[in-house]
Amino acid sequence: MQETEQMIWTLFVGTFAMLMMAFFVISFVLYYQKRRFAEEKKLNEIEKNYSRLLLDTALNSEETERRRIAQDLHDDIGTMLSLTKLSLNQLSKVIGENSEKEEQIMKKTQSLVEETILHVRRITRDLVPTTLERFGLAEAIDEFIHKLEQVNTLSITLNAGTEELPRQGQKIELTIYRIMQELVNNAIKHANCSEIDISLEMNDKFIGLRVTDNGIGFDPEAIKDGHLAGLGLLGIESRLAIVNGTVQYSKNGNGGSCALALVPIISEIPENKPGPLHPFRREKVII
Amino acid sequence: MIDKYLYYFNYDILAGTSVVITLLPLILIIYRKAYIDPSFRLLLFFLISKLIIDLAMFHLAATRANNLALFNATIVIRYVLLSGMFYSKFEREAIRRFILPVSVIFSIFTLWDIWQCNENLSNLHLHRLVQYSATAESILMILLVLLYFYELIRSLKIPNLLTFPFFWVCAGLLLYYSSMVFVAPALHYAAQWDSIMKIGLLDRIPYIFDIVSVLLFSMGILVFSARHYARN
Repeated sequence: MQETEQMIWTLFVGTFAMLMMAFFVISFVLYYQKRRFAEEKKLNEIEKNYSRLLLDTALNSEETERRRIAQDLHDDIGTMLSLTKLSLNQLSKVIGENSEKEEQIMKKTQSLVEETILHVRRITRDLVPTTLERFGLAEAIDEFIHKLEQVNTLSITLNAGTEELPRQGQKIELTIYRIMQELVNNAIKHANCSEIDISLEMNDKFIGLRVTDNGIGFDPEAIKDGHLAGLGLLGIESRLAIVNGTVQYSKNGNGGSCALALVPIISEIPENKPGPLHPFRREKVII
Repeated sequence: MIDKYLYYFNYDILAGTSVVITLLPLILIIYRKAYIDPSFRLLLFFLISKLIIDLAMFHLAATRANNLALFNATIVIRYVLLSGMFYSKFEREAIRRFILPVSVIFSIFTLWDIWQCNENLSNLHLHRLVQYSATAESILMILLVLLYFYELIRSLKIPNLLTFPFFWVCAGLLLYYSSMVFVAPALHYAAQWDSIMKIGLLDRIPYIFDIVSVLLFSMGILVFSARHYARN
């Protein structure tokens, strides 16, 4: 009888130990899985931040290089062209009005030099949007539109939602500007459109850039699947990733397409001041 | 007859509850359409067979007849269906290859165990419980559950285990079989028609953890989403 009791107690203890083990295993699996996922999430976050940093650095380098080229064009080639123009002016006076043929050649040369100076100026302005740094987004976009309209028969309009668009950080303004350039260039190259509408919208949290055209349009789903995503669109995505922005593409009712880029506003004091007299400072651009 | 059933239900509420509660996961599997998952389909077959055998055992117990032959038969059916469930869940081929032959060997071993415990198989009145098979089944099932948990942790595919239906099924099985490892051999000596050995609360443990495991199965089926399964 006593032996049976002892056996029962032993079995009780054994069963209890097994059940404790089972509870422990279940709890351990739950806890360990949760911890592994938290670690994995942290690692992904670090990887994501690192890629963002790499992208940021790459874009910074690009802007710095643009600025350096613009500066070299302005300081070296620009100056030399101006001197050439002055020299030609002096030479023109020396030749005088004696020889008609030489005068014709001189005038042609002078006009070519003038044209080259204008080209160099245009290229330097394209490389570094000085208007953006000095006067802000709306002015810079307006200038961009004006230049485009001179060489295209397109009708491009700008609607700035708020009358006086407050200045934002240099990085945000440059990002929106470059995205606008890319979207408008895409519309001109691929959309076969006659009208482009650019609008800037702003609320407490976001700045929105909407570029709408009346062209042939495209399938937004194809962009999502990556079939239509070329380098330009990937560049837009990359620039937006740095400022935590998003972009959405949609079809218009009239057959055109619409792209809406949203960039969150960072509550910081804008570091942009009106630009210095010399537009191309030799300094690293922080975008 | 109903009086007998009611009397027996009141006499052994735990045993009665462990029979009736099987209806809960059964209804839930059908209602939540969890049977679209092959492992839950096998669980459905297991629950149906469990309900039928449990009802038959309940009937025999209520009419004071020996029902241990049915209990012995359950062991083979239960192991084959439940290990089949793991067969469809495991991703590692090495483990899958191990499950099928083990099921066959275990079934043969159980049949031998039934035969060695009951030399006269036709005498159902004095039929005895198996001696080793229930313990072996418990050890094998615990091993399968632990291997599955290991695979889950290694693969890191499920972000939240609490919302993963099969985790609840595994938890139920682990608890049930952990409770059975030591109790099963004792039942062989305790549950005899001609010489009953009192083992006190020990013979209640299988019923308690049968109910607990069925409730955990139900939890798993509750978090099962047919739409989510189809998407995956």
